[in-house]
Amino acid sequence: MQILKYILKRILQSIPLLIIVSLISFFIIRLSPVDPLAELRLNPSVSQETLQKETQRLGLDKPIIVQYGKWAKSFVKGDLGITSNGEQVSTKLKERIPNTLLLTTIVILLTWLVGIPIGIIAALNWKSNLDRILTVLTSIGMAIPSFFFAVLLLIFAVKTGWFPIGGLTSSDFLEKSLLGQILDISHHLVLPVTVLFTLSLAGLQRQMRANLLDVLDSDYVKFARAKGLSEFKVIYKHALRNAVNPMITLLGFEFAGLLSGAALTEYVFQYPGLGRLILEAVLRSDINLVMASLMMGAIMLIIGNLIADILLIITDPRIRRGNV
Amino acid sequence: MKKLGYVVLIVIFIGLFLHSCINIDNPDTKNSSLTTTQNNQIFFREYPTQINVNENGIDYLQSQAPVGIFGGTLIASTIGEGPKTFNPFNSKDNISSTMSEIMYDGLLSTHPTTGQPIPKLAKDFSVNGNDYIIHLRKGIKWSDGRLITADDVIFTWQNIIFDGFGNTSTRDSMIIDGELPTVSKIDNYTVKFTTPKPFAPFIRNLSTPIAPKHIFEPAVKKGKEYFDTFLSTNTPPENFVTSGAFKIKEYVPAQRVVYERNPNYYIINKNNQKLPYLDKLVYLIVGDVNNEVLKFEGGELDVIGLQGANVARFKEMEKHGNFEVYNLGPSTGTMFLSLNLNNRKNDKGNYYVNPVKQKWFQDKNFRQALDYTIDRKNMVFNIANGLGAPLYTAESLNSIYLNKNLPAYDKDIEKAKALLEKSGFYRDKKGKLHDKYNNPVEFDLYTNAGNAEREAIGVMVKQDLEDLGMKVNFKPVEFNTLVNKLVNTYDWDLVIMGLTGSPLEPNGGKNVWMSDGTLHMFNQRPAGYLKDDRFEWEKNLDELFVKGALATDFNSRKKFYDEYQKIAYEEKPFIYIYSPLVISAIRTKFKNLYPSMLGGLTHNIEEIYIGK
Repeated sequence: MQILKYILKRILQSIPLLIIVSLISFFIIRLSPVDPLAELRLNPSVSQETLQKETQRLGLDKPIIVQYGKWAKSFVKGDLGITSNGEQVSTKLKERIPNTLLLTTIVILLTWLVGIPIGIIAALNWKSNLDRILTVLTSIGMAIPSFFFAVLLLIFAVKTGWFPIGGLTSSDFLEKSLLGQILDISHHLVLPVTVLFTLSLAGLQRQMRANLLDVLDSDYVKFARAKGLSEFKVIYKHALRNAVNPMITLLGFEFAGLLSGAALTEYVFQYPGLGRLILEAVLRSDINLVMASLMMGAIMLIIGNLIADILLIITDPRIRRGNV
Repeated sequence: MKKLGYVVLIVIFIGLFLHSCINIDNPDTKNSSLTTTQNNQIFFREYPTQINVNENGIDYLQSQAPVGIFGGTLIASTIGEGPKTFNPFNSKDNISSTMSEIMYDGLLSTHPTTGQPIPKLAKDFSVNGNDYIIHLRKGIKWSDGRLITADDVIFTWQNIIFDGFGNTSTRDSMIIDGELPTVSKIDNYTVKFTTPKPFAPFIRNLSTPIAPKHIFEPAVKKGKEYFDTFLSTNTPPENFVTSGAFKIKEYVPAQRVVYERNPNYYIINKNNQKLPYLDKLVYLIVGDVNNEVLKFEGGELDVIGLQGANVARFKEMEKHGNFEVYNLGPSTGTMFLSLNLNNRKNDKGNYYVNPVKQKWFQDKNFRQALDYTIDRKNMVFNIANGLGAPLYTAESLNSIYLNKNLPAYDKDIEKAKALLEKSGFYRDKKGKLHDKYNNPVEFDLYTNAGNAEREAIGVMVKQDLEDLGMKVNFKPVEFNTLVNKLVNTYDWDLVIMGLTGSPLEPNGGKNVWMSDGTLHMFNQRPAGYLKDDRFEWEKNLDELFVKGALATDFNSRKKFYDEYQKIAYEEKPFIYIYSPLVISAIRTKFKNLYPSMLGGLTHNIEEIYIGK
């Protein structure tokens, strides 16, 4: 019951935040000198009448505050409006969200399944050669800019012919059997996943290692050891449970990055995800689409934090007593 | 010892990452772009024009190209976001038009080498003053098996185009003195179009796609708003009924559009088998040029348009590769330097252009001096890697209306200086140019930032003009800002821009050249401007464009359009610089290629097949 009350409180708190986010983004986009109709204006075969019709359709003839009011009203009703090409924003997003989710969930699962154990191993073998090798590897991972790494891998794919050059499916995808389709998608995912995996693995592994080292140094671990508990129990029951708290906060942020975290890599690999859609929308000043994606990002961040907080309440009795 | 270990580890890793890339890239860079100029031979192969034949009572169009083998796929690409609609009447951008027009043929089409109108869905046509009689093919079918008849044509023209559904630009361009042409049905396979006055450009409008009435009629009945979303990119492929060589099979957003052959297509080969030869046509949607090039090199693409440094590289790779590079000649694109001749005041009473500068820009000698100072050949060589043709006329070099009597000339700085002197300009001791009222000559030169080609032209124009003692402030600005300056605020001096014209129909340029045009940028008037303050030559241009549209036969039209090019050539509101060459590469396995300047590489897509 208390948890429900807490969630409700958090949701109410987030409403003013969303309003402020939407106001700032809307005005910044509209005040930038990008004209969604610039291309049309310079096309000799487009008539003045068509231009006027387009201006009215997009509501560009009204003051910004009226435009915002119109947008906010339909947003609250759950209508995301239409893009500057006249398509429903919601269908556009629906086309892309599964692709992005596929990529980011694979990456997150992989990094957590690999990163956490490696972090633990590194911490337990502190200052050993294994720890040092892992440190070098993760430092390299952290140091390579994702953009550069992605381009390198693309060139690698062209030169060797081992991997497809970007995209998500081959052009004869429809004719393949189910197994063939799965293999095709996996084949296309290898490179982008490699880029994102290398980058986030490094951070996660370092974080886990540092947390565990901190905890291993604390008094209660020393006490547990002195008590004569088995090393296994000391680490996995006492140390690890305490070391994992900051990781849960991190998980909240990862959740927020589910939809927007891979934009740059998506662009280089021509991955048909949200990142590419939104980048193109920003360049065109396609206000409804950009606003929808920004709001989505904000909401995902709020939800991510909320989930992290709830998980913390469940795992950590100290917080349970204090905050709620 | 430990440190050494780290260093070795790091070196090995970096080495592993870079190994393949550096090693294999080397041979490509050895051959620099010096080879480009000798490869500038424009490719030409006479196209065997298709003829009408009657087989079992059906009026087919018969391909005269060698008989090929059925089957296979051609993979092409498009740069950008992909199509926004598959409804040919709604498209507002090139990609959407291309993607929808693959599926819908028009009554007429254009001959790929001569540019003359040739029959497509129509069997033949005759023009008689204001009347255009079109005979349709008997017995040809839509992809769902229904007959294509006069009803479809009437419906398309009357209920979609004339009634203003979708993108109305086609309709707006046909209005003469507030009146639209009319269309009427003579019998099931004959229609008649009548224009209110003789209006030559109309014949080109007849290449507008024809819609299947039984599919489009319900949508039209639901009103304009519904029509705007009809056959959008979310429409299931089985809902499309087409007349073109291909029919959509699959659309994957941001990835590709896949077309399959239309089994009922009305073009047959010499063995009377129905074309197209290819089973599938795929357009990959790629985000940028670099990715497109990578995909071609990786073998995922069969055909690609090339630019700049890539041309030399591909020419080199061609020798041991499985593709061929074709030079199709100068494109319809024109690159030019424009001056702002505006002499009006804005609503606050201030001049759009500083009156001091107005005197220079409106001086014909000044404009001609700029023209003689610009080194076009140098720009073609340095900026376009030799892959362009210097341009002196308002019509592009592949236009069938090009005035060939207007000679090309080289940079002539002495002539430029003489022209300036004639208008009272003089150079002070430091070499700075002043006008006769002692104002130093200094102005701004704009172009859109981010377009590397135009920025490079800007730098070279600036250098050239500084030879005359002018001070040029070169300011690349954001594209939208520039457009706003050109069409709304008019506060610019000189600008480097490019426009794409039609090689077939100069009347398309009326938006630019007629004084009330929306793109009459060198002397732009606000919409609804009533006062007549046209220059003498602007009046002549207006008159020529009106007359050129009203005349009907090619030769008499050409006279008017020759004259307009002559005026533009002498008055120089636009100083044309060059047209880029169109260069494409395609895999050698594809046969029946008849590349042409007007049609491009795959204009006869139904005849192209994969050879053994």
